Amino acid sequence: MTLDAETVLQLGALGALVVVGPVVVLTRAPRAQVIAFTCYGLLFGLACLAFQAPDVALAQFVVGAVALPILVLLTLARMRRHQEEADATRARLKKERQG
Amino acid sequence: MSFSAILPPIPVALPLLTAALLGFGGKHTPRRLADAIAIAVATLVTCATIYLAIEAAHHPIVYWFGGWKLRSGVPLGIAFVVDEAGAILASTGGLLTTLALLFSLHYFDSVGALFHALMLIFLAGVCGFCLTGDLFNLFVWFELMSAAAFGLCAYKAEEPAPLQGAINFAVTNTIGAFFIVVGLALLYGRTGALNLAELGRAIGPTPDLLVVIAFFSLTLAFLVKGAIVPFHFWLADAHAVAPTPVCVLFSGIMVELGIFGIVRVHSAIFAGVLPVPGGLRDVFLVAGGITAVLGAVMAFAQRHLKRLLAYSTASHMGIALSAWALASPKGLAGGIAYLVGHGLTKAALFLSAGLVLHTLRDVDEIKLRGRGRSHPLVGAILALAALGLAGAPWGTLLGDSLLDDLAMKQHLHGFVIISWFAGIVTAAAALRAAGRIFLGFGAREPEAPDVGGIEGEAPETAPSPRRVPVPMLLAPIAALICGTLWNLWPPLRQSIANAAGQLADHAGYLARVLRGAQAESIAPHLAPPSWVHAVIPPLAALALAFLTLARSRLPFAMRRRAAGKLNIFWRPLRRLHSGHVGDQVAWLTFGAALFAVAFALLYR
Amino acid sequence: MSDDRDELDPGARGRTILFFIGGVPLIGLLAAAMVQLPRSGAGHSLYGDLLVGAAVRERHVTDVVTAINFDYRGFDTLGEELILFASVMGVLLILRKSDEQPACDDREDERQTRRAPPTSEAVRALGLGMIGVTLTFGLYIITHGQLTPGGGFQGGVIVATAWVLLYLAGDARAYERATPKPVVEAFEAVGALAYALLGFAGLLAGLSFLANLLPLGPIATAHSGGTIALLSVATGREVAGGFVLLVTSFVEEALAERAGSS
Repeated sequence: MTLDAETVLQLGALGALVVVGPVVVLTRAPRAQVIAFTCYGLLFGLACLAFQAPDVALAQFVVGAVALPILVLLTLARMRRHQEEADATRARLKKERQG
Repeated sequence: MSFSAILPPIPVALPLLTAALLGFGGKHTPRRLADAIAIAVATLVTCATIYLAIEAAHHPIVYWFGGWKLRSGVPLGIAFVVDEAGAILASTGGLLTTLALLFSLHYFDSVGALFHALMLIFLAGVCGFCLTGDLFNLFVWFELMSAAAFGLCAYKAEEPAPLQGAINFAVTNTIGAFFIVVGLALLYGRTGALNLAELGRAIGPTPDLLVVIAFFSLTLAFLVKGAIVPFHFWLADAHAVAPTPVCVLFSGIMVELGIFGIVRVHSAIFAGVLPVPGGLRDVFLVAGGITAVLGAVMAFAQRHLKRLLAYSTASHMGIALSAWALASPKGLAGGIAYLVGHGLTKAALFLSAGLVLHTLRDVDEIKLRGRGRSHPLVGAILALAALGLAGAPWGTLLGDSLLDDLAMKQHLHGFVIISWFAGIVTAAAALRAAGRIFLGFGAREPEAPDVGGIEGEAPETAPSPRRVPVPMLLAPIAALICGTLWNLWPPLRQSIANAAGQLADHAGYLARVLRGAQAESIAPHLAPPSWVHAVIPPLAALALAFLTLARSRLPFAMRRRAAGKLNIFWRPLRRLHSGHVGDQVAWLTFGAALFAVAFALLYR
Repeated sequence: MSDDRDELDPGARGRTILFFIGGVPLIGLLAAAMVQLPRSGAGHSLYGDLLVGAAVRERHVTDVVTAINFDYRGFDTLGEELILFASVMGVLLILRKSDEQPACDDREDERQTRRAPPTSEAVRALGLGMIGVTLTFGLYIITHGQLTPGGGFQGGVIVATAWVLLYLAGDARAYERATPKPVVEAFEAVGALAYALLGFAGLLAGLSFLANLLPLGPIATAHSGGTIALLSVATGREVAGGFVLLVTSFVEEALAERAGSS
């Protein structure tokens, strides 16, 4: 088996995915995980390019590296807002009970 | 050009078009207009699929989208292959959607037409799944059905419980769907084909690991959808939180399509290379048997009516899976009869559960004890539909009768015992609930500790007038009438026989799609249902329900001792059904590994 | 609250063990099966070869993938488009509560203290500058799917990104003005509707559902491929509209907040 440039590119892309994939899973903090996941999405798009699938690569870039992170970040922001509101309500109730 | 040459895309395209129209109106579509349009479209789809079922009696109708037919013998575009079985199930889906929409006429204020649009999209997914002859297309409709189902499940999203239930449902089912893609990729990589018939031809006669794992992957998704143990956990959570009309579709057709998906994929692609009698049979018989027993036991342990019915669905799907594993045209006929019969009677059950929720504002059997005395009609419908689970003529009678007959001939006495057990116990559980709610029988505390998960049931309707609206009553009664026809009307029995003959005819399917052959498959001869099945199990279920309710009359000490012994049995079950999505995924992975290893060992 | 529960969760350990007992053999078997696939680039699939050979000649387009998506297998794309449509509807259903709930007074003072930091001038300038470029690029991708990689799906998301930039660049008022929800909903639905209608047009013309009706035009121009370009535009509309709708329903609260604080 001869290693031409294309094979090297493909193996490199796959290797990067193998490294970044577990990083995504092991990152526990949600916002950090979004960043890791975005990196994974970009690399996955590059892998698609390396395997001669530009259409899929484009779809992967826009979905994996743009759309999905935005949606997850928006969800996180919304959840935090709800959490803060719940905390504030709880604190107020506590104050009222003490006072 | 005959009518059947343009009809196949209609059951999918028409509801999708209408859903987009309703979406266009958004929140501003008047409620009654949305009701009228949605019911009209669902009825049209039902009629169209029934017409297709009549047309497909002799051989499947093949329809090529975009006009892309075979080229040098290879399918170029997407085909719908409308066979009898697919058309029957699609029309069941259409009928149940119509009934569910009829029932929801008096339902909670919907958000504009979103509810109607999602129901129609769900129906389109059901029809597409039943009629397609292309593996990727099958996946698309499967996903469309799921996407609509997730939204419908979380409909009452004001409370946290529906979201939790919908999340469990979405997570487990999406993992399942992921495996369809894995199987699809394996098959496409090997054969370069997506058409089911072309795959069946290209896959070759010798099973190797790739073929086996591809079959496993495709099956897994359908096992999850079909709520086979240990993939059944999502079912009760989703049913407990979903609005009742949506439960009708979940239990009446969606779960059934999980089982049908296995049959379809196997009969079109794998029947030549992985025949059921060689090994697969035992795996599926065991899985089906465990599901039937566990589902029935869990159903009996519930006090939440919708949860009870959901577990009974799992139990019945276990029987349906075993029916397919009996591996004969008669078994397939019994399976189809069973799936549709169960769907209709379960629809009636959920609709009556919806009536209970509407009139009594709750579905907790214990809390409602005796409170239904003023609504005898609702109680009667609930009890009748419950008898259908045990094999009354509006339920699973024909299926039970055919399957037991066949199993006796194959000396599978275990199957017969389990199928009677499942039918009697699930029916008794529902009858017990009906007796307690509408007659005030039984103790104020449950006979078994509640083995629950996610709780929470809020009324879905505005505070009700004393009288039940007529359409709400009509819907379950119509389901029971259709069930009776299904079991007893001879022409329908002939349809079932044709459907089974076509499903069993792998070579015929390939020849029809790839060569346009006109040959007719040999339909098995089906005996009319035996009256033994129509009488004995329902009576047994009544007796069991009565005994359970009368147990409160036993001396206290005896009850205590029995309860103490039973706790050893209930505690692990309760821990198992925790309602935690992590548990469900862990069990899914574990169960998937069991199936994969079993298949791999069988075809080493 | 959920953190407390996880720590107290007695099942966590058993769950992990169970997961690995199942997961390891499962991965092993999947890998063993995948090893039996033909080597990448080595195997030629019958279907693929057939389509690659035929598409340019029959459809006058140079991007075969788009020809497959919107013609040979255009029916799949209808389903996929509707999956997105249904998902967006589902999200709207789930998020609808806060639509109906007006901001309560007792949260007003908390909001004052927790005002969002002002958007930096750099982000603002860069964001506004990129809106035009992104929008143009998205429209280009949608309309040139039949010639170069891309099409309605990809282009639709890019167009929607332009809207997100508008929000990020910090002009909440402009964002609100540019995206009245009913209009976006209708915009999205028309995309889905147009796709289905183009399918029915084939039926009405006496051909099959989704048959290509229009003249194919010369090879490799912006108007080659007949209905392919139209279907791509319909998909682009649906995807862009759906994504903007999602983003809008997520940020509505934040918008209300910013509008109140500025």
